[in-house]
Amino acid sequence: MFYFRGCGRWVAASFTKLQFPLARLSSDSTAPRTPHFDVIVIGGGHAGTEAATAAARCGSRTLLLTHRVDTIGQMSCNPSFGGIGKGHLMREVDALDGLCSRICDQSGVHYKVLNRRKGPAVWGLRAQIDRKLYKQNMQKEILNTPLLTVQEGAVEDLILTEPEPEHTGKCRVSGVVLVDGSTVYAESVILTTGTFLRGIIVIGLETHPAGRLGDQPSIGLAQTLEKLGFVVGRLKTGTPPRIAKESINFSILNKHTPDNPSIPFSFTNETVWIKPEDQLPCYLTHTNPRVDEIVLKNLHLNSHVKETTRGPRYCPSIESKVLRFPNRLHQVWLEPEGMDSDLIYPQGLSMTLPAELQEKMITCIRGLEKAKVIQPDGVLLLLPRMECNGAISAHHNLPLPGYGVQYDYLDPRQITPSLETHLVQRLFFAGQINGTTGYEEAAAQGVIAGINASLRVSRKPPFVVSRTEGYIGVLIDDLTTLGTSEPYRMFTSRVEFRLSLRPDNADSRLTLRGYKDAGCVSQQRYERACWMKSSLEEGISVLKSIEFSSSKWKKLIPEASISTSRSLPVRALDVLKYEEVDMDSLAKAVPEPLKKYTKCRELAERLKIEATYESVLFHQLQEIKGVQQDEALQLPKDLDYLTIRDVSLSHEVREKLHFSRPQTIGAASRIPGVTPAAIINLLRFVKTTQRRQAAMNESSKTDQYLCDADRLREREL
Amino acid sequence: MWRGLWTLAAQAARGPRRLCTRRSSGPPAPGSGATIFALSSGQGRCGIAVIRTSGSASGHALRILTAPRDLPPARHASLRLLRDPRSGEPLDRALVLWFPGPQSFTGEDCVEFHVHGGPAVVSGVLQALGSVPGLRPAEAGEFTRRAFANGKLNLTEVEGLADLIHAETEAQRRQALRQLDGELGHLCRGWAETLTKALAHVEAYIDFGEDDNLEEGVLEQGGSTCWWGRKTPRISPQRLPSLFLSACLLSPTADIEVRALEVALGAHLRDARRGQRLRSGAHVVVTGPPNAGKSSLVNLLSRKPVSIVSPEPGTTRDVLETPVDLAGFPVLLSDTAGLREGVGPVEQEGVRRAQERLEQADLILAMLDASDLASPSSCNFLATVVASVGTQSPSDSSQRLLLVLNKSDLLSPEGPGPGPDLPPHLLLSCLTGEGLDGLLEALRKELAAVCGDPSTDPPLLTRARHQHHLQGCLNALGHYKQSKDLALAAEALRVARGHLTRLTGGGGTEEILDIIFRDFCVGK
Repeated sequence: MFYFRGCGRWVAASFTKLQFPLARLSSDSTAPRTPHFDVIVIGGGHAGTEAATAAARCGSRTLLLTHRVDTIGQMSCNPSFGGIGKGHLMREVDALDGLCSRICDQSGVHYKVLNRRKGPAVWGLRAQIDRKLYKQNMQKEILNTPLLTVQEGAVEDLILTEPEPEHTGKCRVSGVVLVDGSTVYAESVILTTGTFLRGIIVIGLETHPAGRLGDQPSIGLAQTLEKLGFVVGRLKTGTPPRIAKESINFSILNKHTPDNPSIPFSFTNETVWIKPEDQLPCYLTHTNPRVDEIVLKNLHLNSHVKETTRGPRYCPSIESKVLRFPNRLHQVWLEPEGMDSDLIYPQGLSMTLPAELQEKMITCIRGLEKAKVIQPDGVLLLLPRMECNGAISAHHNLPLPGYGVQYDYLDPRQITPSLETHLVQRLFFAGQINGTTGYEEAAAQGVIAGINASLRVSRKPPFVVSRTEGYIGVLIDDLTTLGTSEPYRMFTSRVEFRLSLRPDNADSRLTLRGYKDAGCVSQQRYERACWMKSSLEEGISVLKSIEFSSSKWKKLIPEASISTSRSLPVRALDVLKYEEVDMDSLAKAVPEPLKKYTKCRELAERLKIEATYESVLFHQLQEIKGVQQDEALQLPKDLDYLTIRDVSLSHEVREKLHFSRPQTIGAASRIPGVTPAAIINLLRFVKTTQRRQAAMNESSKTDQYLCDADRLREREL
Repeated sequence: MWRGLWTLAAQAARGPRRLCTRRSSGPPAPGSGATIFALSSGQGRCGIAVIRTSGSASGHALRILTAPRDLPPARHASLRLLRDPRSGEPLDRALVLWFPGPQSFTGEDCVEFHVHGGPAVVSGVLQALGSVPGLRPAEAGEFTRRAFANGKLNLTEVEGLADLIHAETEAQRRQALRQLDGELGHLCRGWAETLTKALAHVEAYIDFGEDDNLEEGVLEQGGSTCWWGRKTPRISPQRLPSLFLSACLLSPTADIEVRALEVALGAHLRDARRGQRLRSGAHVVVTGPPNAGKSSLVNLLSRKPVSIVSPEPGTTRDVLETPVDLAGFPVLLSDTAGLREGVGPVEQEGVRRAQERLEQADLILAMLDASDLASPSSCNFLATVVASVGTQSPSDSSQRLLLVLNKSDLLSPEGPGPGPDLPPHLLLSCLTGEGLDGLLEALRKELAAVCGDPSTDPPLLTRARHQHHLQGCLNALGHYKQSKDLALAAEALRVARGHLTRLTGGGGTEEILDIIFRDFCVGK
């Protein structure tokens, strides 16, 4: 064992103080000087960082390959994390000991929970993040992760070998070839290349390939993937221009202040790094008819908008908003980019107009009359260096006009719920490459890919989060069974069991499994989650056991609107359901034994939430069981849907099943176009197979008995 | 859809179970992809019998039986001589129809042979088909199952079809035909669409309300301010007018739609039992004091001697039940013991059973002896049974009653009527048959009200399943109104929508998102 300095350019000098973990050299192989890792992660964006650290946490020697170490943890688009649905994902990433939530608690400048009035199941934790701080904190974390090596380098190709016979797939990945021709071997490879595959930047009518000339590793990789038979699609996204802070007239705009107190993203934090009064405000303004006019007059100068590539419906550019909903005022949030940043991010103004028109449009907007779009002197000189996650790396925070990005993605129906590809064994995809949008969606996939790449190396069963367990499960199940034709974003409305899968209980749902099944969770976090879970269970049973008449409750808690008409005794848990009652008021009324449950604020709040949903959760549990039954019905992995004759299926359904390769009856039933009748036929097939299997086991057992008996007889003789 | 999987699976399991067991015990059955054939018209001697095949070998079979002729033009009746392919012996001159898939009943290639209805012809053609390689006799309902599997029918339509096959009376046939036409499915789909839209608006408010300032107008509680109907904290009052513009409210708001749906569902559910009665028969119970002629009437209506008739009071001691087709409606007609007190234990038990049956009746035929109206038993009967059913308000009364005065032949022709203070009644003589036409006409009207008249009324809920889901939907809508937590309110709508989609199948999250993005300009 020795320090690995085989190939590529090693991490910049600023990191020399960090100790590089040992890399194993495959001493017995034919290439003695070729480095060998358990897991290689390609890309240092939000998916890549989570994947690399998750694999390392699971105990795998991991290599993170990135174009440039100093862009690790770069927030390429909006300067914010979380939101409705996305906040749920962050909580789940945190429950699996992922990074982004903890980093956000150290880097935010404006923390606010959305949907406060709509019920705790749909609260959306959100924060404006200081880009610089986030990147700094992320890099510190990455470079301090044991077992994780970081290397600069661009990947040109994959090394492929014979497949393992016990798994499906036509070949197996065993390493990567870098642009300089050097090779690195690994047991598993995770691709998190973001918008990197054949990325193109669009401003007005100009387009620029997103990799520098002579430095286009993405092309080679994209070609390899295509040659292997991966189905590739194309998506687009965009980002707004940045505005100089001092050129905005904030005094006439609506100011929005952060929450007090701030709610942290991570279960391990009781508070965030910054006090509410030190946080920065956001401002709101709106577009007006003049904006519409400029957009409509200049459509001919805007190739991005006209093209047919699918962009997100829910994060549309101002151009598409104007086209789809004309004559309306659209809101523009003015968000700080950081504590000491002199830039403002105008959320809602993503656009691809030619640069000179962008400023013209922006100055029509109230409060932005004198706004300066900070123009680079010659986009072409500085530009087109694309980061894995779709950003043009802004050297020294050099400001840019708004631009559009078009990129390849791989149809996610080609991957399993563990994010391994069907075609190539041990190759995993995570993040935007799978057609998602958003930091949180990328991070969530990153954690799962990292865990599974590591489990695959140690030959353990994959770690799959089901739809009934988390938003991560819904995200991955939607992608792998339905595919996507536009950038996929998480919404709470995608989640069937929304009332059970809440931000407050992500640790009860995932931390315990993450510890036991994946080994990606620290002992400390595991113990905390266990304590919380048992305290909650105990608290709920205590609350159920306390029963008084409604008139007594009314006397005890006069502020609650308890109806005294009911003659039956009322449980404390039912009283806690009233909006105006919390654990504090209950504990004041019944100090023994409730007082101890108010000592931990989080516990008290979570008890209140559990009470709110108690009656519905009971029914939801029944349904969840039904779904889990479906999920338990495994479809044979090597089932050839195109030729199988025992199952009556239409040709269309056969092709759909063949493409998506659902692993369970439940997943098959969610594929659009797979009819209920086809499912029933499949179900019958699975049942028959299972029965036949059981019968065979039975008969072989019988044979065994007979054999034994014979032997016994022989011995007796 | 996937939530309903188990329901669906359970339903399917009933049909194909036979297939499964056979497969596991005997030799492997031909794959379900085989071509099937069966006699599709009734058994027995008839003018024309129809034999049908379905599956990929249909065209081949047709050619072999009509060899050496080519396939007839699709969907055109052609006259062909059918021959046994083995012996070449002519079987029949038949009308054949060729339906290439997918434009056929099952979605597969189908052939219909319209042959002469003699048993020898039919069995000859069936045997000939059986000798064609790749063909096998169909199992019960297999054509329908294939149509279902190929997406030609939805679940309610399949049920309608099953009813059509089993329809024994004219009204049942009409109802079944209507359900087959997808009328119930159509109605449910309409409701489900309304609900999907309402749900989409609630979901939009949850997922985008605060990022994108959809206003509370989306959920408008019809004037009353609900608790979430407050401004979201990020919006200041002076911005409100412009924000209303920003959220484009294209349709009536969620609450108004939900309320309208509640009314529609409620109205439909009140009629719900009618459809079931039409399928399984309305309970008509003949009751009255002893010796009023109840058993005579039952025998008269069923046109056979169901009950023993004697002049002795208390002849009928138990409940006698007989299925009858009355004016096109299926009826389960019950003869019961005469109602009186102070008799032996056996008859007393009969009276108790009569009363029990009376409570379950959809329609009561109350019978009195027209010549004996003044007797205590008659008066008592009028005061208790007739009066109690009569006083129920007509809208919520599930029971209806016809008062029949029997033995009109005993009344003197020119004498006074049976009495002025009697409720509306019919005069009948079971002995002479006088008044029977009037009674039948009255029964038809009553039964139409009890069962619903399929030729004019909205489609009925012919299965308890339908009623179960509609009631579930209605209950969930009630929860929606009560919920203060918006996530809970949305859950109630999801449950409600789930019930409707389980009636017809289909519907997913994408559908909701499509509406959200169509109706609202959202995006952070």
